[in-house]
Amino acid sequence: MPRDIYAYKCRKCGHVHYPYRMVCKNCGENEHNEFEPVPLPKEGTLLTFTTLYSLPPDFEVPSLGLAIVALTNGITVTGQHRIDEPETGMAIRGEVEIVRRDGYDEHYGMVFYKA
Amino acid sequence: MTMRDVYVIGIGITSFTRLEFPLSEIAAYPAMMAMKDAGTREIDHLYVANMGGGRVNHQTGLASAVVDTLSLTPAGAETIENGPASGGSAVKTGYMAVASGLHDVVMVTGAERMREVNNLDATDFVATLTHPIAEHIYGVTLPSLAAMFTRLYMEKYGVTERHLAMVAVKNQNAALLNEFAHLHQKISIEGILDSPEAMTNNPYVAEPLRFFDCCPVSDGGACVILASEEAAGKVGRPLVKLAGVGQATDTHAVHEREDPTDLLAVRRAAAMAFERAGLTPADVDVAELHDAFTILEIVESEECGFFPKGEGHLALERGETALGGKLPINVSGGLKGRGHPVGATGLAQVYEIVHQLRGEAGERQVKDARIGFTCNFGGFGNNVVCLAFTREN
Ligand SMILES: [Zn+2]
Repeated sequence: MPRDIYAYKCRKCGHVHYPYRMVCKNCGENEHNEFEPVPLPKEGTLLTFTTLYSLPPDFEVPSLGLAIVALTNGITVTGQHRIDEPETGMAIRGEVEIVRRDGYDEHYGMVFYKA
Repeated sequence: MTMRDVYVIGIGITSFTRLEFPLSEIAAYPAMMAMKDAGTREIDHLYVANMGGGRVNHQTGLASAVVDTLSLTPAGAETIENGPASGGSAVKTGYMAVASGLHDVVMVTGAERMREVNNLDATDFVATLTHPIAEHIYGVTLPSLAAMFTRLYMEKYGVTERHLAMVAVKNQNAALLNEFAHLHQKISIEGILDSPEAMTNNPYVAEPLRFFDCCPVSDGGACVILASEEAAGKVGRPLVKLAGVGQATDTHAVHEREDPTDLLAVRRAAAMAFERAGLTPADVDVAELHDAFTILEIVESEECGFFPKGEGHLALERGETALGGKLPINVSGGLKGRGHPVGATGLAQVYEIVHQLRGEAGERQVKDARIGFTCNFGGFGNNVVCLAFTREN
């Protein structure tokens, strides 16, 4: 089953947040857990990107693509990209994959590919 | 509520380089210099700015160690951690203590010992300030956030790699005149951008940012002593007033910002510092901006109000930000040339401005400098402290 990354929708005003925050940025709703998890869409547009050559010690690769993407619902997210010739404004699709291994922990996150 | 005026009566600094001293001594040495400079050992309270003691040096409760090694006990002391803006935050806290009347003389010292670990571990330590779930797990580092920001700035405003290299050359060569600076190696546009060897000399760290666009990882400490008007009157040094403080925050995750080319926390912190000081950006004679990456000097020079948005690189082209220009920026070398021991950087910026406003900066003296400004940039712009200074007598 494909995995998802969740955004958090305010049950009072409908504002969608990513990442999670405890108080709604839009209406100030202050009751704990008044957010509904909603899966992030997997399609969007590449806003900006980089190839990082100086990597944190637990990444055993020579370089790493990183990107900020605007998803179709308007939410922006940071993730890794695996696109050979990235260009700002290009259409992308995301997959949820393992993005970092740290000791015995595997972290899942969004990886972007050319749409 | 009436606030008292606050003055800087003493300054001190270490060399920024690799230092083989314990962290507490890196914090204490510039404090000893500052007490000598001020001609007093009567300190009511000590603030120590530091970001990585617990993680990098396995030392917590740093202020308790520093106050004791300086034999200033039983004065109160605390450590202030606010990422790379720890120094600015600690100065602001010291300002509040004196302005409120709680204390008459406070010492604010900052120190970092990052070279205890290798460069990659040091970068990863700083990266722990990014959002744990939405940024850090992806391998996001500060250089990668700066790189993604730079690409947007290039596309929107026409900033080029040449502009970035111009900042690198200006600041790293300015550091040649600063005996305390980390880098004492002259560079040229030819060597880092145009020559056939440039790609080898100056490879990409996070494309489009290259090696010479990033500040070095440094150890170092710097200190200032703040005092009330009455206490400052007893010190025979040129009088510099800390005239205005400003601080603002922005979203933790960089991707959440409405316009990703804005640094709103810089804009707000700067406006607040100017308003409280009763000054405008046009009044400033000399500024120290947080150029951890070359792009940041250009954009902060706009967000602080010195140049219109999108025109900082044009002012740079015209030479306005170099020594001898209309508004010299980072004549100390900045973070790029002086180095960036994170917790000490905000203090080193204040050190340079006070040095300049006293007219004691020697070969790198900005002529007739009477009003100075600092911008200490924490996170990737999510926590920023700005300070405005005036020469009084
Ligand atoms: Zn809401």
